[in-house]
Amino acid sequence: EELRLSHQFAPGDLRHKVAQMVADDVAAANVDLTIKIFPSGSLFKATEQYQPLSRGQLDMTVLPLSYAGGQRPEYNLTLMPGLIKSHEHAARVNASPFMGEIERILNEDDVMTLVKGYLAGGFASVDGCITKPEDVKGKTVRAAGKGFEEMLQAAGASIASMPSSETYNAMQQHVLQALNTSSSSFVSFRLQELAKCYTPAADVALWFMYQPLLVNKTTFDKLKPEQQEALRAASAKAEAYYLEEAKKEDAASVEAFKAAGVEIAQMTQADFDAWKKLAEESSYKQFVKDVPDGQKLLDMALSVE
Amino acid sequence: MDPLTLGLLVAVTTIVVLFSGISVAVGLLLVAASFLLIFDGTRSLEMIPEIFFADLNSFTILSIPMFIIMGAAVASTRAGADLFEALERWLTRVPGGLVVSNLGACALFAALSGSSPATCAAIGKMGIPEMQKRGYPDGVAAGAIAAGGTLGILIPPSVTMIVYGIATETSIGRLFLAGIIPGLMLTALFMGWAIFATWRSGNTAVLSPRSYSLRERFEIMPRILPFLLVIVGVLYSMYGGIATTSETAAVGAVLCLLMAITIYRLWNPRAIWGVLRDSTRESVMILFIMAAAGVFAYMMSSLFITQSIAQWIAGLEVNRWVLMALINLFLLVAGFFLPPVAVILMTAPILMPILEAAQFDPYWFAVILTINMEVGLITPPVGLNLFVINSIAPNISLRTILLGSAPFVGCMFAAIVILCLFPGLATWLPNLVMGPI
Amino acid sequence: MSAPIAVAPVIKGENAFVRAVEALTTFFGWIAAALTVVALIVTCQMIFVRSFLGQSTIWQTEAVIYLMIAATTLGLGYVQQMRGHVNVDLIPMALGPRARRVLAYAVLLATIGVSSLIAFYSWDLWHQAFERNWKSSTVWAPPLWVPYLAMPLGFGLFLLQLVADLVKLATGTEPPFGIKEV
Ligand code: NA
Ligand code: NA
Repeated sequence: EELRLSHQFAPGDLRHKVAQMVADDVAAANVDLTIKIFPSGSLFKATEQYQPLSRGQLDMTVLPLSYAGGQRPEYNLTLMPGLIKSHEHAARVNASPFMGEIERILNEDDVMTLVKGYLAGGFASVDGCITKPEDVKGKTVRAAGKGFEEMLQAAGASIASMPSSETYNAMQQHVLQALNTSSSSFVSFRLQELAKCYTPAADVALWFMYQPLLVNKTTFDKLKPEQQEALRAASAKAEAYYLEEAKKEDAASVEAFKAAGVEIAQMTQADFDAWKKLAEESSYKQFVKDVPDGQKLLDMALSVE
Repeated sequence: MDPLTLGLLVAVTTIVVLFSGISVAVGLLLVAASFLLIFDGTRSLEMIPEIFFADLNSFTILSIPMFIIMGAAVASTRAGADLFEALERWLTRVPGGLVVSNLGACALFAALSGSSPATCAAIGKMGIPEMQKRGYPDGVAAGAIAAGGTLGILIPPSVTMIVYGIATETSIGRLFLAGIIPGLMLTALFMGWAIFATWRSGNTAVLSPRSYSLRERFEIMPRILPFLLVIVGVLYSMYGGIATTSETAAVGAVLCLLMAITIYRLWNPRAIWGVLRDSTRESVMILFIMAAAGVFAYMMSSLFITQSIAQWIAGLEVNRWVLMALINLFLLVAGFFLPPVAVILMTAPILMPILEAAQFDPYWFAVILTINMEVGLITPPVGLNLFVINSIAPNISLRTILLGSAPFVGCMFAAIVILCLFPGLATWLPNLVMGPI
Repeated sequence: MSAPIAVAPVIKGENAFVRAVEALTTFFGWIAAALTVVALIVTCQMIFVRSFLGQSTIWQTEAVIYLMIAATTLGLGYVQQMRGHVNVDLIPMALGPRARRVLAYAVLLATIGVSSLIAFYSWDLWHQAFERNWKSSTVWAPPLWVPYLAMPLGFGLFLLQLVADLVKLATGTEPPFGIKEV
């Protein structure tokens, strides 16, 4: 039997490696199951993975869950400023009842999670470092994620929405002055060539995005027990790998920016608190307004120590 | 079925379907839907509208209709004629002034228009009759404009380059820069041939320069000034920190419409509707093909044909220049029949991994590919520019147009060879302006 | 072939149905052109607001994308009426008049088949987006049924025009593939 896994990432990307690892281990388990990977959006485009997955037209995917936030607004909580504090905290959130609630919603769409994982990110800018809310005032910023856009707007930034393929040129021409995305995306966009200052995810980090490996539930349920077992075992191993590598991605991005002579800035705990306060008044508030039972879900997420 | 055999079956079916007279976009959808239904089941058919939508769901696409409007707006005025007249008055010492000026005007006009037919029509409407009147051979006059028109997709802005940029996720700003020097080089090659062909026809008298007084030369300047201002405005917007490449297209369209309305008195609502109608027609046609080619590419990827062909070619381990020659041959044949947009979108997923493995520069390759597509525009059986010339110069037979264009195809081959020998012609400028890759 | 700029005379139908359909697709041709102009204005507004006023541009990029998708699909029928969809007529040119007529029917029916399929499934997609209240996952978050609506509508218009073309072919108003017999 063959399962099709589609994602948007290049073969060198960590998220591809996680998928590849699961595919390799399942193949090695000799349970008559192969996973065929379609990387780099070669089957479905970046933001178009969730729908075919939930309809069973696609078997598996690795995807930033907030991309499906238009269909399930609850998912927007998986990319909220300040909700996750560190990779260790992310691991605890993954095991919490909050994620159980997200899983329940996924199940409603006939989707289930195999590998959980968060990636961190930061800010890069072409003039002045960004550590606290005042730093973005009057700047044109492109943020990854609705919650971040709302928070940055509340901080007085102008939000520019543009495709990721245009960010490099836009930064180069100063159409954009700052960018907020994941550590690995910074490097794959080669932004170290342009940036003047980089605020990475370090001991204090603001930006975490949930990017799990998902499978269609019906497809999974139809597999033979030994195939399911092999898939689960491979996924558990991949999850541990994902967590370890996610931490290294942050350090690797710092190295890349340092090597390019870019100034590295650090966010302090006070900066973080200021951002979070701003987020509470903007994006958290908006979330609670948009989502029925939003407050309950938010409280569940915030209660994870 | 083995994906490679399936690929062969898809190729044969596609050729038969597309030659049947069905529109290219619908033909691609028909082949894609049939193969998905047979080899993937009905669940894939449900996906077609989503894929269709997703393929148009990109801001970059906006630049296609915008660059088409730019060209159409200016082409509807007599700006094209002003352009070659001005060039001729200034190039008094150059032999073959008029044909050289027409080619120069094509190159300049190309800097305002993203499409080739518009460039052809804009310069040819006045240029061809004028050249005939002055005694240039019909073949040279028609061929020069047909070939000069193809510069529309090499000299930026270029719809072909935008489509390539979308398909390969490369920077459109950089692609545009890569086309400039090769575009100028090709213009020079065209000019060289046009002068030689006129001289060979024995009618050397037309080659001797006419003289214009200084007054005559300066008198015409105000008429081409707006033209140059628009070009500068577009370049400033694109590379000067105002807007992204896609956004610039809208600025350019507005500037060209304003220029047509204020300076060339395109007041008449009927004339403005004419511009919008022609651009809508061309852009709907192109975007429909883009979306359909996207569905076709989905079918090819879903049935693992794309990946298998790429792996197969990569496994051949041929010399990279032999590979490049084969790719060129393939593009050339595809370009004979299909519009550039369809060729690029259908082949990019297969070609990109191969090119990357063989370490060819994607920006350099974009130029090579564009020149191949230019050949397709002036060769039978489907040569858009030939039909444009046929409709703007009905007194020249299609045979003469064809024979007159053939040597310009030779110039394009020469350009490809030169670019293979000196790749820096395409890569130097983008590296200079935007930094190395 | 039908070149997008070459001026091929468009043969208007005499039949009342054909005339009604062509009036409708022409009207949507205007709409498509108008949507393109709106996209142009919105883009310029976005550049101005961002570069000169330094304000956020939340909705413009997405709105422009949807405008262009709508312009494309709603314009399909009109461009079909104008014979603006490029085709390669190698086989029709090589055939005799009878075989060419048969092929013309086959091509039109195949086109109608594919378009019906897309019209049907895109209506299905629109319906889902409407029922489940899907939104775009951006800050602006417009309901997706609005841009999705352009697809069933556009392909519906395209279908109508194709049926009108079938009538024109059957009544002899237009020769197969527009190729006049010599
Ligand atoms: Na051009
Ligand atoms: Na051709």
